[in-house]
Amino acid sequence: MPTNYYLVLSFILFLIGTGGVLMRRNTLIVLMGIELQLNGGNLAMLAFSRALGDEKGHVFAFLIIALAAAEAAVGLAILVGLFRGRQTVNLDEATLMKR
Amino acid sequence: MNPAATAVTASGGEQVVFWLLASLTVFFAGLTMTRRNPVTAVMSLVGTFFCLAAIYATLSAHFLAILQVLVYAGAIMVLFIFVVMILNREEVSPVSWRPTRLVGVAGGVYLLVKFCQVSDLGLPAPVAIPDTFGTVGSIGDMLFRDFLYPFEAISLLLLVAIVGGVILSRSHRKEVDAELAAAARKEVHDRQLHDYPATVDEADALPASGGGHH
Repeated sequence: MPTNYYLVLSFILFLIGTGGVLMRRNTLIVLMGIELQLNGGNLAMLAFSRALGDEKGHVFAFLIIALAAAEAAVGLAILVGLFRGRQTVNLDEATLMKR
Repeated sequence: MNPAATAVTASGGEQVVFWLLASLTVFFAGLTMTRRNPVTAVMSLVGTFFCLAAIYATLSAHFLAILQVLVYAGAIMVLFIFVVMILNREEVSPVSWRPTRLVGVAGGVYLLVKFCQVSDLGLPAPVAIPDTFGTVGSIGDMLFRDFLYPFEAISLLLLVAIVGGVILSRSHRKEVDAELAAAARKEVHDRQLHDYPATVDEADALPASGGGHH
């Protein structure tokens, strides 16, 4: 398949993730949206890697997967802390630093 | 005769596989972002990751496809499932319709349309690749020769994330309990020191004398 199909697919994935991050209130779903965004970036990375015949993109995608694991661990820990402190996972109610 | 033009034309089977996987990926991703029940969302996200792994495999990224299944669909999603099980809350209004956010999403859709219009311009056609492209051996070779410092940096990042996760999710209640227990121990110790000063001094002095021999 030509590279631009993969790029459009990665754009659509990133866009769905961005829509979830912007519009959902549940922090868990927002974290899942961030994962989708990272995966969209990974797909573009691998598509270009295949198009150019260069494996550097694979290494970058590998590093991004490790980064996503770290991000998920810390994000979910923050979420658990938020729930413990305020009994909610609603982003609109997490206003401690807005006052 | 343009060899790049022949490389661009994909076979029929390849096209069918791509469209099937791409539509499934978008379908599951949309399901993830629109479902009200977090468990359904997590399961749809697992489906998205499996389809993405298959797409990676069609891009000759075999190692990354395996990694996607192992790390994403395996480890990260299990983490999500655990947190969903801990905090399963019903949402009153899952979507927030704020104007600024709507503008952001509309801008993203506009960018997508523009991107579809220009994306077939000036892109390199896929080149011929060797058989070892995307295998564990070749990626590991590159990772440990050219990208050793980024690799070590990402391992450091993972260590920091582990420590941060433990500290952030640590129960504050336990900490208070530990402080109370330490204060109680200190009180007992002080009382012993007050009532039987000789024995306690002897007990404290033992490790010091033991250390003097070395």
